[in-house]
Amino acid sequence: MLGVASGAIIAAAVLAGPVQAQETVSWWDFLSGGDGIRMKQLISDFNADHEGEITIDATTLEWGTPFYSKVRTSAAIGEGPDIMTYHASRIPLAVSQGILQEITPDDWSAMGLSEADYAPSTWDAVTVDGKQYAVPFDTHPIVLYYNKDALAAAGLLSEDGKPMGLDSREGFEATLKGLKEAGSEYPLASTTADGTFMFRTIYSFMGQQDGELMTDGEFLAGDNAEKLENALAALQGWTNEGLQTTYTDYPATVALFTSGESPLMINGVWEVPTMIDLKDQGKLFEWGAVELPVIFDHPSTYADSHTFAIPANSGKEMSPEKRAAVLEVISWMAKNSLFWATAGHIPAYGPVTQSDEYQTMEPNATYSSLTENMIFDPKSPLAGVAGPIYDVMSTYFVPTLNGEMEPAEAVEEIKYELNDLQ
Amino acid sequence: MLRNKRNEAIVALLLVAPFIVIYGLIFVYPTIRMFITSFQDAPLIGGGDYVALDNYTRLWGDRRFNTAFWNTAYFVALTVIPGTLVAFGIALGINRLKGRLQALILALFFLPYILPVSVVYLIWDWTLNFQFGIAMYLFDLLGMERVPVFKSTVWFMPAVAMITIWWTAGFSILLFLAGLRAIPAEIYEAAALDNASRLTTFSRLTWPLMWPVTALVLTIQLISQLKIFDQVYLFSTGGRPNDNLVLVYYVFQRAFQYDQGGRAAAAAVVLFILVIVVSVLNFQLTRLSKGRA
Repeated sequence: MLGVASGAIIAAAVLAGPVQAQETVSWWDFLSGGDGIRMKQLISDFNADHEGEITIDATTLEWGTPFYSKVRTSAAIGEGPDIMTYHASRIPLAVSQGILQEITPDDWSAMGLSEADYAPSTWDAVTVDGKQYAVPFDTHPIVLYYNKDALAAAGLLSEDGKPMGLDSREGFEATLKGLKEAGSEYPLASTTADGTFMFRTIYSFMGQQDGELMTDGEFLAGDNAEKLENALAALQGWTNEGLQTTYTDYPATVALFTSGESPLMINGVWEVPTMIDLKDQGKLFEWGAVELPVIFDHPSTYADSHTFAIPANSGKEMSPEKRAAVLEVISWMAKNSLFWATAGHIPAYGPVTQSDEYQTMEPNATYSSLTENMIFDPKSPLAGVAGPIYDVMSTYFVPTLNGEMEPAEAVEEIKYELNDLQ
Repeated sequence: MLRNKRNEAIVALLLVAPFIVIYGLIFVYPTIRMFITSFQDAPLIGGGDYVALDNYTRLWGDRRFNTAFWNTAYFVALTVIPGTLVAFGIALGINRLKGRLQALILALFFLPYILPVSVVYLIWDWTLNFQFGIAMYLFDLLGMERVPVFKSTVWFMPAVAMITIWWTAGFSILLFLAGLRAIPAEIYEAAALDNASRLTTFSRLTWPLMWPVTALVLTIQLISQLKIFDQVYLFSTGGRPNDNLVLVYYVFQRAFQYDQGGRAAAAAVVLFILVIVVSVLNFQLTRLSKGRA
């Protein structure tokens, strides 16, 4: 009996020998669209590169509240993954819940990455109280997509191939009206049925006036309320004059643009793959994407960042070997993020965006200038995609943008509700 | 033969034990925890400091809880009685049919009931969507203005109520049909011999004899509509969630989106008590009025 047992132990030890060197990193993400396909490609490239050393075992989960609830509950019982994608805007909440591990200075040097590799606003977005809790992978702002053919036909394409009037409200509105006169029923396709989406545009317009959502823990204090009202009024004006679509859902917005009905569209850079693919199939006009027009004082664009975070699985210590493998995954992903740019996102890792290959990628190169003008969500546990601020905003944005409610009233209600959340 | 009482008790216990264990684990224990958590300043997971009745007193000043409460009441009013009447009417109609045709029509009405809520959501979103909904093309044809059904507070609750009735009527129809079939044919024959009119037959025979089933359907509907959540949540995505809140949605928001377990638990306790009080009241009222008809 004893012989059998010890034999088994020896056999197990022999079998375990070569296996021990191999680390399996469990991975969760929420990328299910065109970017999900590209991420799967990156993962399989990584696995091929690290044959016999590290394998990523990836799972894609439902975006939004389901993802974040699942991370929260699984980290609490030590059943979370080894690494996961996370929105930078959600980090303050995650840190207050204690579900993220700090990325220590030692980790940064182990990965061969440092603060100097990132845009200041992106670095700041993953920093809470001077510590980093995630590694930025990309930034995904919104941009203005445009139909070159339609603009050229209406005589509204400037010499450098961009829409005219990007530098002022009057100029941009003149372009919209010009398009309307040239026969577009709705010159601008806007996701006016989805307030959570419109938050991105409205927050950008607030940023163009140096407005902030939260100052010293108070929402819309001082003249920030007025700046929000200005942003809402500008957009509502476009609705009232029939310059943008009303009650339009996200898929309908994209359809209106790609079918040529609306020559302009404000949307996330993640729709770039859609355009590239349609164009390749010969189903799309000549198109382009530029930084948002300056409606107020200076350029400013809302952005969020996909980051990699390591969950603090309670009661489960991560072995040094595992941690090293996880760091290798993050580091490899950052250094190979040029491919990720084909999903439209702007890689966060500076050396990639500064490379010659990236500089010639279109339309990314045209809009990558906006990295200097990016603004992120306020740092609050209430902020972030699918968070409480989103619900409040959406509830008042939808009626306002479709002309049912006055901007002043909406701002008053938003201010009350946001401060009531705390 | 002598019966072994002790053995019988053991067998009985063994048979009941699995149920009691599971019931205790997944119902009694969480319910107790819910009451405890409602007195704590707790996050979604784990306990917090004891705050006495704070979570409850905050509910009354909370504008959003107020919205949720009245929306739930409005939704119950829109669905329970109308839904029951619609199901009764359809059951009366189906009862007059015969054979295969009856089975076919019954199946058609029952079909929506087996659909998962996500499918129900998609069907109706395709139908009523402002931009590409099929119904909107009808509106255009008739020269009417399009209505943003799920983005307007006026239309949202009535639309979701209608969809809910469409979705869940099948089950009530089955209960009513079973009740109608249990009424002996002789009673109707006797009424026919007495020259009773159709209206008299219905009001003096069918309605009172069907009352127990109606009371049951009303109670089931009441309890399930007080707990309305999934349709409202799905149809609110991206729209005006805080205008469309119902009680369970409020609990979900507090717990899963805001990480405020204590405040969510307090709202859940209020809903729990509300469901018990309302359903007991409803049951007693329907039982008392039974003899009157």
